[in-house]
Amino acid sequence: MTSSLPSKSLPSKSRAITVAGLWGALVTAVLAVVPLALRDRLPDPLATHWSGGSLPDGNASFAGSLAFVLIFWGATWAALLGAALHGAILRGRLSRVHWWGLLFGGAVFTLGMHGVTLAANLDAATWREALLPGWQIVAVLAASAGAGVLAGYLGRGGPDVAPARSRETPVMRLRPGQRAVWVSRVSNPWLAGLTTVSLLSAAVVCGFAAMGMVGASAAWMSLAVAVPLTLLGLATATVQVRTDAEGLRVGFGPWGRPARRTPIGAIESAWAERLTPAEVGGWGVRGIPGTGRTTLMLRGGDHLVVRRTGGGEFAVSADDAERGAALLNAYIAETTGS
Amino acid sequence: MLLTLDLNDPRPLHEQVAGAIRRAIADGSYTPGDRLPPARDLADALGINANTVLRALRELRDEGLLEFRRGRGVSVLSRPDARAVLVEAARELLAEADRYGYGPEEVIHIIRELS
Repeated sequence: MTSSLPSKSLPSKSRAITVAGLWGALVTAVLAVVPLALRDRLPDPLATHWSGGSLPDGNASFAGSLAFVLIFWGATWAALLGAALHGAILRGRLSRVHWWGLLFGGAVFTLGMHGVTLAANLDAATWREALLPGWQIVAVLAASAGAGVLAGYLGRGGPDVAPARSRETPVMRLRPGQRAVWVSRVSNPWLAGLTTVSLLSAAVVCGFAAMGMVGASAAWMSLAVAVPLTLLGLATATVQVRTDAEGLRVGFGPWGRPARRTPIGAIESAWAERLTPAEVGGWGVRGIPGTGRTTLMLRGGDHLVVRRTGGGEFAVSADDAERGAALLNAYIAETTGS
Repeated sequence: MLLTLDLNDPRPLHEQVAGAIRRAIADGSYTPGDRLPPARDLADALGINANTVLRALRELRDEGLLEFRRGRGVSVLSRPDARAVLVEAARELLAEADRYGYGPEEVIHIIRELS
């Protein structure tokens, strides 16, 4: 590769694939060569698991632990390469950050974990004598997080170019003596399914606890996870969006309660946008720092976006969002006009 | 779903709601197979009784526009025929003419002039 070629002239996709290929191969080589070179000084089986203290409580054969590490890294590497080849993931800035962060943070994590395992086992007579100080785990976690954040920062690329979407605000005509409302309801069946599963698991745990098959503390702990998860899932798996003369109302959950209202006087303008979970950082309530926008993402597709008079934008998944936005704009014009 | 009600419309409320839903299907914002928002959502939004909305939905089902399915709610079965859409549009035209002080005879006269 010629060094005179500025790296910017390479398209980000082919650069990412080149870097991921070379880096992944290097990591794989280190993961395989180092244990093989140290094989004479390692016990077989190796200590591979520590719980809490520095004394090991689990072991695996030399070949088994090597295969596990290689498969773990290989799967991560293959998934990242596949995502880069597919190309879509590198288009958004946020997903680029995640991709680069995982490529380097994941590699440092795998290398570090494998490294401290080997270091603990090195020159131990049997696997039971392999001591692993806890701070080493903390150091590996910190180093991989640091590497991930740094790689994500360096690989973030330019800001997202907004696609040529018409930011023109749709309008419609209202006649005097007419009352118009627009309603839309969107559900995410996956979230609803997860909610059902967590609800069922809570019920099963309660049943077992009632029969005395599970300890009370275990039952409480699983309920402490399942109940908030169920409530959160119920509230965000379905949203009901309504626009009318009073403004925008977003109702959460199957009953549309609680609801979040934005009065018409607090809305500057409204429009529809097509958004995907990758663009906003996932599902649920999402806010990317610096964009001044909060998104309630239930599924990729049409979203109703309002800009508040005090600044800031709010987007919510809604079918047929353009009509809802047009109605809001009509009412805004009516409020400010008269 | 965008629904508009005319506050001066003398027709019973359930007929107006049926007309509003018919218009929403006719203008293509809902196509066959699409699910309508629940009747309760529509009733809340319009500030009317849920039974009024249900009555309107049943009327549209009897016209063959909507389909009620257990567990799947109400979905659009077919688009309204041209005549029903025209009747709805003519009703609006007459209402608008009335606001400017024109009677039905004068509207008919205007239509004759245009055609």
